[in-house]
Amino acid sequence: MSVTTRALGDALRARLGPDGATDDPAARAAAAVDGCQPSWVARPRSLEETARVLALAHDEGLVVLPRGSGSALALGTPPERADVVLDLARLDAILEYSPDDLTVTVQAGVTAGALAAALAGPRQTLPLDPPGWSRRTLGGIAATAASGPLRLRYGAMRDLLLGVRFIQADGVSTWGGAKVVKSVTGYDVPKLLVGSLGTLGVIGELTLRLHPLPETEATGLLLLRGPEAAQEMVSRIVDSTLQPNRLEWLDAGALAACGLPAAPAALAISVGSVAPAVRAQHAAIAEAAAAAGTRVETVGPAFWRAYDRVLAETGNTVLRVATLTSRLSAAMAAIRSALGADAAMVVTGCAPLGLLRVAVDGSEPTRLGQAIERLRGFVAEDEGGVVIERAPVALRTRVDPWGSVPAGALELMRTLKREFDPGRSLNPGRFVGGI
Amino acid sequence: MLLSPAFLDELRGIVGADGLVLSTEGRMTYECDMHTFYKGAPDAVVLPLRAEQVQAVAKLCRRARVPIVPRGSGTGLIGGAMAAQGGVMVSMTRMAAVLDVDLPNRCATVQPGLINLWLTHAVAERGWFFAPDPSSQMVSSIGGNVSTNAGGPHCLKYGITTNHVLGLEMVTGAGELVRLGGKAAERPGYDLTGAAVGSEGTFGLVTAITVRLTHTSEAVKTALAAFRSMVDASEAVSAIIAAGMIPAALEMLDEAIIKAINAGTGAGYPEGAGAVLLIELDGPRAEVETQAERAAAICRERGAISVSVARDDAERALLWKGRKEAAGAVGRLTAAYLLQDAVVPRSKLPQIMRELVAIAERHRLLIANVFHAGDGNLHPLICYDDRNPDELARAKQANEELLHACIALGGSVTGEHGIGADKAQSLPLQFAESDLNFMYRLRGAFDPDRLMNPGKLLPTHPACGEGFRPARPVLPAGTWV
Repeated sequence: MSVTTRALGDALRARLGPDGATDDPAARAAAAVDGCQPSWVARPRSLEETARVLALAHDEGLVVLPRGSGSALALGTPPERADVVLDLARLDAILEYSPDDLTVTVQAGVTAGALAAALAGPRQTLPLDPPGWSRRTLGGIAATAASGPLRLRYGAMRDLLLGVRFIQADGVSTWGGAKVVKSVTGYDVPKLLVGSLGTLGVIGELTLRLHPLPETEATGLLLLRGPEAAQEMVSRIVDSTLQPNRLEWLDAGALAACGLPAAPAALAISVGSVAPAVRAQHAAIAEAAAAAGTRVETVGPAFWRAYDRVLAETGNTVLRVATLTSRLSAAMAAIRSALGADAAMVVTGCAPLGLLRVAVDGSEPTRLGQAIERLRGFVAEDEGGVVIERAPVALRTRVDPWGSVPAGALELMRTLKREFDPGRSLNPGRFVGGI
Repeated sequence: MLLSPAFLDELRGIVGADGLVLSTEGRMTYECDMHTFYKGAPDAVVLPLRAEQVQAVAKLCRRARVPIVPRGSGTGLIGGAMAAQGGVMVSMTRMAAVLDVDLPNRCATVQPGLINLWLTHAVAERGWFFAPDPSSQMVSSIGGNVSTNAGGPHCLKYGITTNHVLGLEMVTGAGELVRLGGKAAERPGYDLTGAAVGSEGTFGLVTAITVRLTHTSEAVKTALAAFRSMVDASEAVSAIIAAGMIPAALEMLDEAIIKAINAGTGAGYPEGAGAVLLIELDGPRAEVETQAERAAAICRERGAISVSVARDDAERALLWKGRKEAAGAVGRLTAAYLLQDAVVPRSKLPQIMRELVAIAERHRLLIANVFHAGDGNLHPLICYDDRNPDELARAKQANEELLHACIALGGSVTGEHGIGADKAQSLPLQFAESDLNFMYRLRGAFDPDRLMNPGKLLPTHPACGEGFRPARPVLPAGTWV
């Protein structure tokens, strides 16, 4: 490093004003990532200020860790060094909302909850609901490609992000995509940024596609005899004209955590539409349930809030398992066998997409690490994966939190990193393959 | 460019004599896509059967520094599948197999030359379809759809090609055969699949595609509303969306097109209408029925002259008949036309329609319109007489003015056709130097020698060249450092 901590502070304040950067011990401790304390915390109020911080870091060889609400900092390999934590929470303006176009442009620090409040009047929604969504920033949801139950109907961030302004590692402000709902002008740069964990650039503004809020919504819970019965019901719904907006898999642990009646497995299914269509689809689901020897319990809208809280808060270790829909019950057996028959766990997931989320309170990194490797062996056949969404540092230093990436694809990813962040100032070492 | 006999021998060794086209008349059939302004016959055409052959061709061309141009069915509208700089064209027409249909996991894997509609035909009986539906879907290949990130009437609800691509196998410009993405919904790492869809062959050659399949809906309802003017119809479009509906398709036709269609196929669109709006809703029956009534009511409130709702499949097919044959009907209006694909925010439709009328009057041209109104994607057909150079010049001028007007309203250069050779020089209208430079470097990661489909997508511009440095942030005056 060519600047001393003191000189760095002067340089940051010159760029951000006196209250834009701090080395206050409490602030630094609060901004620590996996125990790694930054020398400074920078809090830009604009994209220009963000760009100036990154230009400085680039020129001086500093390591920058961008953050939004801080809800996903345990994703990825623990950092080895942190010169500046770049706190984007003050980029919290909704810049342009056009209800007639169903589009909105926001700064990266706007939380999904704040945006939901702004969209409520015209009855529109950004249908992204990763665990704990309302407090999470949209920049963070994009950088981590976080998704939730509504992905079934509306897709994930990759499908809803129309345009993005980001600051490259050298401070150059760059735009990709468009502000209209349909555009194929130029390369699809927004897709590249989604899920890149800030390693190619720092997301500053997002233009997003919105949807109308369904007029009515109803949720039913199907209690089932076990994973095979759940698998069968999922297949039946997938191969039908039913159009649920959520279809979540819950294991016994998940039912208990949500305070629901006990059962070996369950499905939570919601339908959103005009009232007669909601009634008709629920009747069809009830019929399918009866054929399977069970029935649909109606649960209120409070269910999804409770479910979200359980997902956000349960487990010091959370794994995202990507398998195939047809292999869900087999994956459940593999999870059970890998973690041990007696392990307390909460398994949920977007069943028709073959995504499962395993939450456990792990205290033995060695055993958990072995379990993860076994699970990776299971999903390798599906070209799926097991990503550690959060876990104590001890586990994430022992096991690669991302898992392996095929060699050819990894080489392309490394080439991109070398091209766009040759000095490795953005989240170095925290992404796949040491990127 | 001259290809050496040794090079041609090597090509023949890779794809076999029956997979190599060298004759002049053979190569001429590959000299352009549907945008016949742009012509460039390749020096050789290869028709590979397997990914390994594609890779061997790519490696050979890289070694010899010969450009490669990928080609599907050649139905693109942007001068993308033509070899302006010569070189080797790789035609995917013999790689057209369905490799795997996996309905329990809602996906299929196909070779790039497979015709779009054939995939739907392969799964339709079991209640599934492939959602991207460009108007060319009877003839265009899925590889071509991936290359241009094609749209279609129903992408208003279902999204464009990229929303339905789960994974790709491709040979990069560097000659590597890589697998990106796959059947599983998530893979760790950068979304290279997402970056590669729409790259128009400038990253490499796609050799297999895993796509998402969609289950057919319980019900489909189609309505047709006739209006006095395009402005009235445009306002109805906004009102339908504002009422919380996302129809599967929302298509608009103007007076010139209506007349041409009625003169031809007898679709029976209302005579004297200034605009026709075709509204299609699909989904659960009760939803579709409720929303069709509401959409019809909105059209009446907005001054529709007539509104008819199809009662059965036969009536539905008739309502669509005219729209599907619109491109052919244009032949009755004009011998030649320029086709735009610009987009405006849909709330700006009434405004752009007024500007369009003014531009047509100013240049004394007929501009016919048939387009995807729901997502603001215009397709004005600027008609001209190709025997009259002055009229062509005016048509080109009108084309430019219209494009600028769309961008000024916050729009985009192309909604679904792509860039190719046709619109590359328009990219700077929409992107700053730093944005163009980022794209230039992104391409270099896949195609370091820039031999893949050269001259397409990226403009000739200083920002798209080696050594360009975009402007970096400067400190405000008065700061000390």
